[in-house]
Amino acid sequence: MTTFLQVLLNGLMLGGLFAIVAIGLTLIFGIVKVVNFAHGEFLMAGMFVTWLITTRLGLHPYASVIIVVPMMFLLGALTQRVLIQPLMSAEDDHVQIFATVGLSTAMINLALLIFGADIANTPNFGLRTPIEIGPVRVLSGQLYIFIAAIILVAALQLFLKNSQTGRAIRAVAQHRVAAELMGVNVPRIYILSFGLGAACVGLAAVLIAPLYPTSSNIGTYFVLTAFVVVVLGGLGSIPGAFFGALVIGLVDSLSGFYIGSDLREAVVFGIFLLILILKPSGLFGKRMTLSHLS
Amino acid sequence: MKLTKFLTSAAVGLALASPSFADVKFGSLYPISGPLALLGEESARGLELAVDEINAAGGIQGEQVVLERGDAVDNNQATGEARRLISLVGVKAIFGTYSSARVIAASQVSELAGVPYFELGAVADEVTGRGLTYLFRTNPTAANMGKDSIEMLANAIAPGLGKDPKDLKIGIIYEDSSYGTSVAGHQDAHAKDAGLNVVLKSGYPANTVDMSSLVLELREKGVDVVLQTSYQNDSVLFLQQANEAGYKPLAIIGGGGGYSMQPTADAVGHDVIEGVYDVDFTQFEVNQEATPGLDKFVEAYKAKYGTEPRSGHSLNNYVGAKAVLEALDKSEGFEPDQIVAAVKAIDVAEGTTAAGYGIKFDETNQNERASMMGMQWQDGKLVTVYPEGAAVAEMRFAE
Amino acid sequence: MSISDIHSQTGMNTRSIGWPQVAFGVLLASLLLIPLGIDNAFVSHVFITICLFAALSTAWNIVGGFAGQLSLGHAVFYGIGGYAGVILFNLGVTPWIGMFVGAAVAAVVGMVISYPCFRLKGPFYTLASIAFLEVIRVLSLHFKDMTGGATGMMIDLRLGWTWMVFRERWPSLLIVFGMLLVTLGVAWAIRRSRLGFYLVATRERESAARAAGVRTVRVRLIAVAISSALCAMLGTFHAMYLTYIEPAAMFSLAFSIQIAMFALIGGIGTVAGPLLGAALLVPITEWARASLGASALGLHGFVYGIVLIAFVLFMPNGIMGAIRRFARSGGKAAVEPAQTETGPIVAPAHTVAAPDPDRPGIGQDILKVENLNKRFGGLHVTRDVNFTLREGEVLGLIGPNGAGKTTLFNMISGFLTPDEGKVSLRGVDGQFHQPTNPADFAALGMGRTFQIVQPFAAMTVEENIMVGAFYRHHDERDAREAARETAWRMGLGPLLNAEARGLTIGGLKRLEVARVMAMQPRVLLLDEVMAGINQTDVRRAIDLMLSIRDTGVSIIAIEHVMQAVMSLSDRVIVLASGEVIAEGRPQDVVRDPHVVEAYLGKEFAHAHA
Repeated sequence: MTTFLQVLLNGLMLGGLFAIVAIGLTLIFGIVKVVNFAHGEFLMAGMFVTWLITTRLGLHPYASVIIVVPMMFLLGALTQRVLIQPLMSAEDDHVQIFATVGLSTAMINLALLIFGADIANTPNFGLRTPIEIGPVRVLSGQLYIFIAAIILVAALQLFLKNSQTGRAIRAVAQHRVAAELMGVNVPRIYILSFGLGAACVGLAAVLIAPLYPTSSNIGTYFVLTAFVVVVLGGLGSIPGAFFGALVIGLVDSLSGFYIGSDLREAVVFGIFLLILILKPSGLFGKRMTLSHLS
Repeated sequence: MKLTKFLTSAAVGLALASPSFADVKFGSLYPISGPLALLGEESARGLELAVDEINAAGGIQGEQVVLERGDAVDNNQATGEARRLISLVGVKAIFGTYSSARVIAASQVSELAGVPYFELGAVADEVTGRGLTYLFRTNPTAANMGKDSIEMLANAIAPGLGKDPKDLKIGIIYEDSSYGTSVAGHQDAHAKDAGLNVVLKSGYPANTVDMSSLVLELREKGVDVVLQTSYQNDSVLFLQQANEAGYKPLAIIGGGGGYSMQPTADAVGHDVIEGVYDVDFTQFEVNQEATPGLDKFVEAYKAKYGTEPRSGHSLNNYVGAKAVLEALDKSEGFEPDQIVAAVKAIDVAEGTTAAGYGIKFDETNQNERASMMGMQWQDGKLVTVYPEGAAVAEMRFAE
Repeated sequence: MSISDIHSQTGMNTRSIGWPQVAFGVLLASLLLIPLGIDNAFVSHVFITICLFAALSTAWNIVGGFAGQLSLGHAVFYGIGGYAGVILFNLGVTPWIGMFVGAAVAAVVGMVISYPCFRLKGPFYTLASIAFLEVIRVLSLHFKDMTGGATGMMIDLRLGWTWMVFRERWPSLLIVFGMLLVTLGVAWAIRRSRLGFYLVATRERESAARAAGVRTVRVRLIAVAISSALCAMLGTFHAMYLTYIEPAAMFSLAFSIQIAMFALIGGIGTVAGPLLGAALLVPITEWARASLGASALGLHGFVYGIVLIAFVLFMPNGIMGAIRRFARSGGKAAVEPAQTETGPIVAPAHTVAAPDPDRPGIGQDILKVENLNKRFGGLHVTRDVNFTLREGEVLGLIGPNGAGKTTLFNMISGFLTPDEGKVSLRGVDGQFHQPTNPADFAALGMGRTFQIVQPFAAMTVEENIMVGAFYRHHDERDAREAARETAWRMGLGPLLNAEARGLTIGGLKRLEVARVMAMQPRVLLLDEVMAGINQTDVRRAIDLMLSIRDTGVSIIAIEHVMQAVMSLSDRVIVLASGEVIAEGRPQDVVRDPHVVEAYLGKEFAHAHA
């Protein structure tokens, strides 16, 4: 029984981890309607910067948030402005997908060029301390990630619902042309949203860096899982992504324990395919008629 | 035909670094870009140091050795580079290759071309298991790693723990690429031969970000001894998550990869990794009476590359390459059959190389004297503890 | 990308052979002759790699380009071919047979995994393809008994043509070059065949393609099957060439991306593009690896990524796009029609008078609509709609905006399934049938246009009409002939080679009708073909419709232009809020007080009082 509880808790914590990575992705997905294949590499870049700041300046890894998040915002905004914006008018999605795939390849190899193939370890400043909750235990760092994911979801919801900019963003997400006619500066909103999505993954990077060794290809694993989460949660739905992440975390943990560690990937992707095929609007998505679905 | 000539010379010109005269050329085929680049490069350095040493001593058969590099980043590329080295550069033999998949692909080419191939670092059984005439392997293999880890467990660790090895519950976990899979297979087989009790054998993808389920499974099954064959990322993850879950098996025996690297110890913390065993190629904290020439190698390495060796890969490549090159010096020429004859005659006794093991090829062209060593992390350093002749420290057992 | 352009650049055009054809031929020949001439194992290897990637990329392009389904999981099929070849090889079966076994397996797997994914478009299909690749890779690691697991599988070095393993390089080169030719031939044949037109039409506008009788799922499944089978055969060859396979190499995402990338750089959706991409990039990659790879870790991968981004940003149509632009600016501007105005309609001049509902030429019932009901959520869009259409009759369908006219059209052409009620269409066999999907409706002779014009923007006028003409003609030449004839009849003759996206709104509406007419429908549904066109065009359109009617086609026309309704319709039905509120001769209906109130408004009533 204890073991089962521990498996569940591990799954939840893993879910929190996936959630915080996926929130930025779903934001970009939902608003700009672009699948950012370089999202994992954004995470990787943020983790390397956190590692640099922590090791070179001796700061607590969480302190690097004041540099990493604005930096990632700029990176995201720049990506949208320079790479995606010129392609928005393209008739099919091919070119946008290729653009972000190209960016992903370039970033992985750039990291290899700068940091080498060695793993980079961010000092954990006690964030790996186990906390006992009854018979089960959890790492403090994991718990902070989980809490941060909840706060981030709530904050984004508030922002999107109540602020002027947030409303403009939602208008653009719902109907680009209509929003444009209403006088919303759509390109600006896109740049802002992409930046915002990247900033979210910047926050994720800061929180994850002390818990996981950073390497040039760490993004690949996270991003595939994040795609699963985003689709599961319903495209562009932020709370959906959060709950989707919890589901995937639990599935991953349970299948790893009960089916076998070598097949857990197959189980996770199998579920992903089932959802795509049976309910492409996601488990928690509202009935949405997205332009991508015919 | 003019066009043809032009293209040939252009292609040759592209591919060649200016060749000098009266040199003998060998291929150096390692993955030096892509995901395997780090240890591929580290392995290549061992070969380079061996060549430097031989050249400083007058070369072989009076000729200076020139290495032509090839990059075996993937299997298709490995065969392509092997072809380039053989047909464009005209190398007399190829040395390599660190990755088992790459050497298997590349040596199929060299075998058909009749060019000798010397494998100095790849561990999969299939490398020498194919009955090739021109492929030789100097380094210990997955079979050695499997055998030596079980022997160390049965002969040294279990007695040290005051247990009968047959009473211990053993769990074998491994990353699921060819490396981990084949080592784990040998561990399983040897353990069963020795009548040991293997209660769990489970693979996982090396790029995983979570091993907590596996840790729980091990704990649930009451595993006393964990044998893990892994790369760096998953070694770190496993050690950390086992520690945090409060899972403390009597012994953890790592197989190569991540367990032999200092950054792994730094990453998981010296207190966490304290007492963890490791079976791998000969490392640097070893009794030098068993490994003569080791300090000379380390000095040469530091002089050339400006850092300490990053892992034992360079050392093993160095030892294998040096033995082969010295044998070639005694050969009558560089024709493939002359090379093969010279190499088959190699007979280097145990305890006379910098890696400790001797070199003599068996009928499958595998070095039958190759062996691995047992190490333990003690006070943040990886020290050799097994076999006794090479040990620099006593095994430590937790209370 | 218009299809005619491809023809003129692949050297296959029968009409003329220009420098692009010669250049392409030279390139193709050089792929074989250079390595044979140089006779060096490494050079041969590079050229074998070029041919392999060019062929894989060409095969990918059938799905990724023609059908527009961007797969980044195509290594699945290549891997299946490789494994089938090796497993059978080790059982003593020659790879010449193994490759067809692999192809069959891959085709089946391809269809099974694609079928549910076809409602996913754009990034979703891409994600699904990646997920399938991952699942299959993990499974191939897991089922060691069959695949050898992570250690992979080797073949014994049995030499000779039977075993496809050679000491020399030239036989492998010959084989892969032959396979490249086959693949290019298949791609070329598809592109100019009915299947190719259907694929591109489906890619451009799925609904319009369905209206043209295209079974969109089936044609894409066929494309997937062909593409997968070709990839599998290439996989078998490559496995024999490497003599060693492992899951990490055979089911690799990076490899899949590479295949797609060559097509992108060469020009997606073109026949020659993938070959150009591979011929350019493979040597550059080899060179980059030799000169950059050794010096700095990751540098060459970085350059690779940047090249990809640069191509996407500055040459999104690839090399073929650039060539075409160059070819156009280089003195071939005359290809572009100078005029975009349409020509006169060849139609008998009729005196425009209200037709008699029982005029000669009207036959028995051909379409019966009974008790149609449709709700969207709480909204009752059509309510118990009943009417019949007789052969040779023109039925006007009018009503205010939001009355449910287009929804009704969608139900009587199979695009929407009614909640209740049935639609029966009399076939040529004289029996009434109740088809359920657009393709079945089309098979019974139903043709329709869309209120918002749905041209296949990237195709020329001729090709647009050909999509319709293919419905009656299987052969490309016959379809082209029929399309030309229809185009001239519809006054689109001068614009045959113009891209559809360049037409005026009047031209597009006419194109829409022409495409349907090329299908030679028996029942024609016209959805506001006169909206937004000028007075002269309205007059022409009326003449056009009368001429269509006189060939015996039954027509239902949704129309707001009253002039047209009055002069064309034998009968009119009026729909308001989903209900039929009036039915009868046009003159009577417009005087019906209900209609005047519900639809025409008081002003109209006063004006005509």
